[in-house]
Amino acid sequence: MNIRPARPEDQPGMQACNLRNLPEKLHFEILCGNVQPYMYHVMTWPGLSFVAEDQKGRIVGYILAKMDEDTKEGERSHGHVTSISVLRAYRRLGIAKKLMLQSQEAMASIYKASYVSLHVRKSNRAALGLYRDTLGSKSRILRRDTVNADGEDAYAMQLSLADL
Amino acid sequence: MSKALANKKVLPSREAGLFKELLNLYEGRQLKKGLKTADTILKKFPEHGETICMKGLVLVHMGRREEGIDLVKKGVRLDLTSHIVWHVFGLIQKGEKNYEEALKSYSQALRFDKNINILRDAASLQTQLRSYESLVETRHTLLRLRPNLRQHWVGLSVAHYLNGNLKEAKVVLEKYLATLKNVPSHDVEQSETLLYYIHVLEELGEYTEALSLLDSHSRNRDIVDKTAISETRARLLTKLSSPEASEAWHTLLERNSDCHTYYLGYLASHGHPIPPSTPSHPDPDALALISSLTTEFPRARASKRLGLVLSEGDEFKSRAEEYIKGSLVKGIPSLFSDLKSLYTDNAKCTAIEEIVERLQVEFKDASSSPKGSEEPTTYLWTLYLLAQHHSALGRHSKALELLEEALAHTPTLPELHIFKGRVLKRAGDYWGAAACVNEARVLDGQDRFLNTKTGKYLLRAGCVKEAGDVFGLFTKKDAASPGVDLEDMQSMLYLLEEARAHETNGQPNLALKKYMAVKRIYNEIEDDQYDFHGYCLRKFNIMTYLRMLKWEDTVRSQAPYVTAAVNGANILVASYDDPEIVKSLAVAHEQLSSTSKKAAKKAKKKAAVAAAAAAKMGGLDGKTPQQHSNEDKGLEPPTAKDEDPEGLKALTGEGTPVLEQAWKLLQPLLEVGLEENVEVWLAVYDVAIRRGRYLQAVGALEKAKKAGGEEHPEVHVRVVDLKQRAATLSDLKEPVKSVLEEAIKKLYPVEVSPETFNSQYLQKHSQDPKAVIAAARASKILNAPVEEVDGTVFSLLNTDINLSVKVRSPSPPLFHLYFRSDVAMCTMYRTPWSP
Repeated sequence: MNIRPARPEDQPGMQACNLRNLPEKLHFEILCGNVQPYMYHVMTWPGLSFVAEDQKGRIVGYILAKMDEDTKEGERSHGHVTSISVLRAYRRLGIAKKLMLQSQEAMASIYKASYVSLHVRKSNRAALGLYRDTLGSKSRILRRDTVNADGEDAYAMQLSLADL
Repeated sequence: MSKALANKKVLPSREAGLFKELLNLYEGRQLKKGLKTADTILKKFPEHGETICMKGLVLVHMGRREEGIDLVKKGVRLDLTSHIVWHVFGLIQKGEKNYEEALKSYSQALRFDKNINILRDAASLQTQLRSYESLVETRHTLLRLRPNLRQHWVGLSVAHYLNGNLKEAKVVLEKYLATLKNVPSHDVEQSETLLYYIHVLEELGEYTEALSLLDSHSRNRDIVDKTAISETRARLLTKLSSPEASEAWHTLLERNSDCHTYYLGYLASHGHPIPPSTPSHPDPDALALISSLTTEFPRARASKRLGLVLSEGDEFKSRAEEYIKGSLVKGIPSLFSDLKSLYTDNAKCTAIEEIVERLQVEFKDASSSPKGSEEPTTYLWTLYLLAQHHSALGRHSKALELLEEALAHTPTLPELHIFKGRVLKRAGDYWGAAACVNEARVLDGQDRFLNTKTGKYLLRAGCVKEAGDVFGLFTKKDAASPGVDLEDMQSMLYLLEEARAHETNGQPNLALKKYMAVKRIYNEIEDDQYDFHGYCLRKFNIMTYLRMLKWEDTVRSQAPYVTAAVNGANILVASYDDPEIVKSLAVAHEQLSSTSKKAAKKAKKKAAVAAAAAAKMGGLDGKTPQQHSNEDKGLEPPTAKDEDPEGLKALTGEGTPVLEQAWKLLQPLLEVGLEENVEVWLAVYDVAIRRGRYLQAVGALEKAKKAGGEEHPEVHVRVVDLKQRAATLSDLKEPVKSVLEEAIKKLYPVEVSPETFNSQYLQKHSQDPKAVIAAARASKILNAPVEEVDGTVFSLLNTDINLSVKVRSPSPPLFHLYFRSDVAMCTMYRTPWSP
């Protein structure tokens, strides 16, 4: 199992991984027009996304990350995790955590991001455990229907990158 | 006379002003006003080509596409020397993804005006079409016109790079970098540009210079991507065989100790290179290095796993036991896939078996005692691992036995059900397999992974409708059907598996539709790169851009496309050979029961509702339907309605002849490095020979032979086929005739008759079921009597051959034989094709 920066050619693998994991696709068209979201992220912020691949080079996990595009002049810049997923068959290897750490380090060093934000479904205990306990994010609750098509509440979480 | 001609082109000041306004209105997409303005001009000057073109363009944006395009063409005819008309025409063609024609129009436009926008679009088109020489010219022109724009410099350098002229690429970059003043530190764009520059130097072999630039710019924080810096540094030092290389690789490991490449780099820099995908490569010195890395990075599995590759004998056994035991205690489901590659080394495979069986006993005892030191789940994972081990070695009964024990222990672990399904699938019991996987799925309805597996297994069993229902639990509710959503989401798994199911169910028309959907997705993937030609340059993300281009160059070599193209072509060829296939399919379709027709009607209605809802949603700012007329529909043609939902028209060659369709599928495979893929060349042969392209066919067959060997069953069939067809080609002209004869000589011994050739082959390979079937097909091609053909096939049943293969009888009635002699399971069924 290999962890490395994501590259343009990983797009089909990331999509295939995503389809086996997330209950619905995040509103990609909204985020990125009609261009494939993975391509858009990797081509705009090349150092921020990472993948985990198995021995045969198949993508078994990935983190798709960006810098927030709505930051105004004078505001602190921050990173954002658009999507992170690991195939069920590759649990217990700490892949999600490793992907997060690599991405955060890149956000801090390349873009001087001061924090990273992400959305987590309220019911996603595993993810919450990862972010809140293992990685130490501060969390607050967003409005409903901001993220998920079925209206489930999501937490907006933030992790400070000050000590990176 | 001259006054009338002049009137056609040049407008008096009032109308000229209106025309300028028209252009602005178009820019702002104020379509209704634009239309009015255009009509005002045309009232007085109905033959003004540029206005007619602009009006056409506006109409296309408003959705009145045919009308608009006609006007654009008219405008072009009326004013052939206006850059505006050609630009507009080019825009329309580009919207239709007709890049070649668009480039021609743009080139025409550029003859009359070196306009920056047109030049930029032309550059994107040239890159899309890989016309790098013209790209260089265009970028040069852009630079001359606006030398103060940074991206024009970088654009020219990149153009030289793509055109293979690295020296020029370097020169341009150096000139550019010299012009820069006051670059802020930690500027991402500058950082990326510098990384590109260093890359060019590396490609030119100027490692020392590249390295010194890398070091000085990283020190100054001009380059900010630490991973890129470290990776480049390690690579350059390795190429320079510098003693500092290993330290550089070590730095990378400190940042990411889970990256396999870094370990290999580290070992190589110490003089112990390992081939990247080698499963077993004993090397005690390398092993010692890895051991120290393991101590340093205890949480990284990669180094421990590498230890298994580099060790052997007792050393291997103790490491393997530690690795396996640790993973079992942790409960890692992917352990077996991790270890699998070691099995090519028989000694290691046996060692692993011995270790796991011992652990099985150890953990069983531990878990059954009340104060068990190991968790009960450790014992479960051990059984799971052992079952996977035995199944991989073909011992399916043993695997099932272990799984049953595990399931009795813990029936609620989905992985157990999934693997049981997999074993049954391997043994040929697709229905049983699907049922098992479904058991796993119901244990966790929120898990899409389990859902997808179930759908896939249902498709393997040929249960298309049931699979759709399962997938539908996770697909978008407002999609016309689960399949439509999955296709939208570019799910290759779904498309290929469903196609396969349709083929098994004797519905090649529906299978072909899915293969064509895969083709459309790849068209989209290729089209998607277009916007990045300008975008990446503006962002200065050169390295990632170059990677993308390189990937797109050979994207059609990916397995999903190859499968779709080859299988699709085979279906089309079969239909060409036997038009009865399509006829019987059409009859079957007519006889659809009323319930399915009702269901079809319902689905159609649902689709119409969905389409209306989607149209209503339109833009996200909630535009109401009244604003439709001013809504910008863009330049792309709307998705055409599917006129052939059953795929029957395609199979009859309505519209495009079947062989042409087949050829279009295969063409992208010719130049993408698939020399080793025998199926590709066989398909190319099949299509080429039927299209009368004999030289192409022969070339393909030679490649097939090279890839698969001349004893390959499918190659053998084609060789016989070629010989048979060549005998009837008396009217071939030179030089084709003699080239063909020469080629046939190379493929086939001239003195032997085809019948003898075939029976020799049969004798030689009588133990290989695939070869026997191939011989049967060959004898059918040679017009042998039916009894003889069938006799060959049935001879398989009389022997002790391990028939672990799926065979299809070459002559009607068509049936499938499927044996797994080791599990004593046999599935035999007739396809619905036969009347």
